Amino acid sequence: MSVQEQLDELRDRAQGELDDAADLAAALAWEKAHLGPKGDVTLFLRGVGSLPTEDRPLAGRAGNALKIVLADLFEQRRATLAAHDLEQRLAADAIDVTLPGRPPSLGAEHPVSQMIDELSDIFALLGFQTVFGPEVETARYNFDLLNIPADHPARDVWDTIHVESPGELVLRTHTSPMQARVMETTQPPVRVVVPGRVYRYEAQDASHEWMFHQLEGLAVDRHITMADLKGTLTELARQLFGPSRRIRFRCDFFPFVEPGVDFAVDCALCNGKGCRVCKGTGWLEMGGAGMVHPRVLEGVGYDPARYSGFAFGLGIERLAMMRSGVDDVRAFAGNDLRFLRQFARAA
Amino acid sequence: MRVPFRWLSEFVDTGLTPRELAHRLTMAGLEAEKIEEIGAGWDKVFVGHVDRVERHPGADRLVLATVRAGEHCLTVVTGAPNIAAGQKVALALAGARLFDGHSETPTLKTLKPGTIRGVRSEGMVCSEKELGLSDEHEGIMVLEAEAPGGVPLADWLGDTVIEFEITPNLVHAFSILGIAREAAALTDQPLHPPDAPNLTAAPAGPANLVEIEAPDLCPRYSATVIDGITVGPSPEWMRRRLELAGVRSINNVVDVTNYVMLEWGQPLHAFDIDNLAEGRIVVRRARPGETIQSLDHQQRQLTPDMLVIADAERPVAIAGLMGGVASEVTDETTTILLEAANFDMKSVRATGRALKLRTDASVRFERGLDRNLVPDAAGRATRLLLDICPGSQVVAVKDVYPRLLLPHDLTMSFAEFERLLGMRLSESDVLGALARLGFAPHLADDILTVTVPTWRPDVTLPADVVEEAARVIGYDMLPATLPSGETAPVRRDPLHLLAQGVRRTLVGCGAFETVNYVAVGEAQVRPFTDAANQQGFLHRIDGAAAIRLRNPLHGDRPLLRTTLIPSLLEIAASNLKHETGVRLFEIARAYLPSGDVLPDERMVVGIVIAGQREPVGRFAEPGALDFFDLKGTVEAVLTRAGVEPRFVPTTHPALHPGRAAVVLVGDSEVALLGELRPDVAAAFGIEADRVPVAEIDLDTLLELAEPVSGVRVARFLPAEQDFAIVVAEEIPASDVETALRAGAGPLASGVALFDIYRGPQIPQGRKSLAYRVTFTAPDRALTDAELERVRDRIAKVLKQRVGGELRI
Ligand SMILES: [Zn+2]
Repeated sequence: MSVQEQLDELRDRAQGELDDAADLAAALAWEKAHLGPKGDVTLFLRGVGSLPTEDRPLAGRAGNALKIVLADLFEQRRATLAAHDLEQRLAADAIDVTLPGRPPSLGAEHPVSQMIDELSDIFALLGFQTVFGPEVETARYNFDLLNIPADHPARDVWDTIHVESPGELVLRTHTSPMQARVMETTQPPVRVVVPGRVYRYEAQDASHEWMFHQLEGLAVDRHITMADLKGTLTELARQLFGPSRRIRFRCDFFPFVEPGVDFAVDCALCNGKGCRVCKGTGWLEMGGAGMVHPRVLEGVGYDPARYSGFAFGLGIERLAMMRSGVDDVRAFAGNDLRFLRQFARAA
Repeated sequence: MRVPFRWLSEFVDTGLTPRELAHRLTMAGLEAEKIEEIGAGWDKVFVGHVDRVERHPGADRLVLATVRAGEHCLTVVTGAPNIAAGQKVALALAGARLFDGHSETPTLKTLKPGTIRGVRSEGMVCSEKELGLSDEHEGIMVLEAEAPGGVPLADWLGDTVIEFEITPNLVHAFSILGIAREAAALTDQPLHPPDAPNLTAAPAGPANLVEIEAPDLCPRYSATVIDGITVGPSPEWMRRRLELAGVRSINNVVDVTNYVMLEWGQPLHAFDIDNLAEGRIVVRRARPGETIQSLDHQQRQLTPDMLVIADAERPVAIAGLMGGVASEVTDETTTILLEAANFDMKSVRATGRALKLRTDASVRFERGLDRNLVPDAAGRATRLLLDICPGSQVVAVKDVYPRLLLPHDLTMSFAEFERLLGMRLSESDVLGALARLGFAPHLADDILTVTVPTWRPDVTLPADVVEEAARVIGYDMLPATLPSGETAPVRRDPLHLLAQGVRRTLVGCGAFETVNYVAVGEAQVRPFTDAANQQGFLHRIDGAAAIRLRNPLHGDRPLLRTTLIPSLLEIAASNLKHETGVRLFEIARAYLPSGDVLPDERMVVGIVIAGQREPVGRFAEPGALDFFDLKGTVEAVLTRAGVEPRFVPTTHPALHPGRAAVVLVGDSEVALLGELRPDVAAAFGIEADRVPVAEIDLDTLLELAEPVSGVRVARFLPAEQDFAIVVAEEIPASDVETALRAGAGPLASGVALFDIYRGPQIPQGRKSLAYRVTFTAPDRALTDAELERVRDRIAKVLKQRVGGELRI
């Protein structure tokens, strides 16, 4: 058998074996058997030196050509088998995508915090700085400087929790004391909002809490008007409840404002037509407001003939209730996780 | 204040329905809180005439009444003892909806014809209770003779009661007439006040009938003496009106004083003059030691700052608050002295507070009543008494008025309306509104002069006048503008920002924010108190100095909290009833005594975790939350805040002695954390084995926080090397890490402990701590030779500082 015949026979056999290799491992074994260090093609090439001199050039060329052909064949076969193998592994790796996901451990901010931060952001855009004040207050700031003298029945409007002390200390009944504190230490223009806890001596029920949160607003400057108050509150209502909301004023009495009003927003649910949520009135009460009383301005050394201002107060829980549909204010300090979890989503 | 609409309508015809008027008044500052319709359900009830009353053939206690109402003529079986022929009564036909007269609670029933002891009864004659007018069910309700027979009862007796909330500034509207005046002004209709005759023509009586010794507290006192009085029940119409207004009928004299008070706002009092020593009145301060038995049968101690009405000898009434029993009008009374007076508002308020007494009279006086209301109210009451008690007559009238009050003028620029409202009001609208409210406005050259009537003490400033005009004209046309002009730049509050960041970090750590009550009690504080009465958690105070509420809402919780932990433990306990694990926090204030007027309100974060680390789920790995879960969370917060903390073992009465650490930044204690003692956890009702708790002071963190700075962008691959360090068991891991970092120098960008080993390959009493250290240099890739030198230095420093050996 000539060298060429030997090599042709080897090629045919190897080709047949490679076609039979069913998987990557068999192909790799084939490579080792033919092209590896001890493979038959490698051995043949190594044996060329011992051939008769005249046969060597032909045998060397033919052997190398065969090596290239087989390597090509192997590479094609390996690629096919590898692709097949990958598909098989991927198929075996399939999951039920409807199974529950691996939950990241996340808590939630309290709805009151969320509302305070949101209001603080909204008012910052309107030029109001957020400031904070003490919760244990003197009667002077909580009442006297707000035009609520001890000998007037207006003082009875606030059921007050008193703190044991030589002077008259109270748990602040509203965030309004900061009106005087801010004005005493700054000159107009003043634009602040004051969020925080307030306290009342009041029996608890679905709409009353002894501890709740308010946000006070105050703007004092030359030329501040009640129309500005309406515009500011309208902007607030639109940011919170939608771009077409309207604000309505109703005359009301708060000793530290004159004129005084309470303000309501038209019900977003029924667009002011009247529904169960707004008790058929089309309006939802939001808080109290008015023009800063001249005596309050005088009390902090502002000239009421030169400066005017508006002030308003909002109930934080009330706003959160209006927005989230919570119908019992006690839930906010109840802190049941089944309640709190529902505030993990953005309001 | 309850206002029957028919009563109001005697003084003004607004043309509005009760609901429309209530809304109009509400918008103008008189808030209608409730509207009650009387007779809304009287569909089949008519004014009937009793034609005949006969004995029931089958029952002694029942009668057969023949009652006619228009075309209806019915036979009714009734047991009412007071029925008589000729009466006008309320006749209910079959199908009428009536209240059950025998039921304790209001229960509506539909009337059906029935047969009672063999006689068919086709309708019913009603009691007040059955009609929902009162609780009276002794007999049937007998109507006035002039009641028109056959008309629906609702036309004769039906009414709408509007209940107004009268804010403390509204003394002028604290009466039906005052509200009628508001209604008239708002609807531009005339007001028709009731007849109040002038009594000045009456005989003056003895010169000393009234003496005012304290004119500072009593600007005016008028006494009207009426004899020939027969005390008895009031007429039906007055009794029913008082009932609708929420006042119980007593007798005709007392009822008239109440009626006029409701109508005019001026409290009145009637004395039996025969029980006044010398039949005269002295208005004076109480004398030391004097007492009075007031009409509520309380013996009351009086003090010299209190104003009393006295006779020649002793106090007979507490001025503006309540009369005394000794001079009370009784069935035997024939001559009365009717008081209409004005008392100083502050004095009435102070006396009422001292005696813990509030009456319909005092709430009116406290608001500052008009002295010039006195003669009208006295005249109106006298007119009513003379009408109700035929044969009675005025025998003396004395009106002592030492401190005359006249209307005052208020002058302002008309521009003030626009300055405050931001809208131009028309001059005619303003002048018209003010005039209708009873002010006398006069405008000349933009200067508005307003004569303020004496019944409007609340109007003293231009801003008050602006409100008066605006509330009548209405706020609806007010434009919505935004404040113009320069503003100070808005700066964010650093503590608020820090709290926000901490809150978000904790939420990211799986914790839920809570908001808790600030008051705690002995039971919650005790576990946090040591033998020396130092109490609290991170911040400890002397227990005797704790801030105490004088009138806490819950008597067992009189203290302001110095730590948030007890509140969080209570919330944890209640949540663990339905949760397998909880992670809770609160960011709020701790109230610490400061020695100053106000307490030190420190912003702190409290964290409590307990129970299973993960909720039930297919990925959950079992395991209870412990110290290290919480420590990791606290570290996350401190990292967020920008401080580098050290954890140092410590003790606290509420904490596990071997699982507690104080957190230091420099020398400052910024936090305390540890696992609760099991007995403390049990005291709060928590059954979990381990309850890690922590408190962090945000005010201190804010002072210490260092912002991110000197950040470099990494350009070269880091090299990682592991170090197993064998040290004595008692060396704390933090010391080993400190030494490791010192040895590694600035090239070490990260150090992580990944294993702790004790066992056969390590000598007894020693442990092996395995760290992976990441090395990076900003400007080059590190060479093996460099790392080898670092390794040698680490070995040296560990040996020197903690006696450590490198195992690999
Ligand atoms: Zn609605």
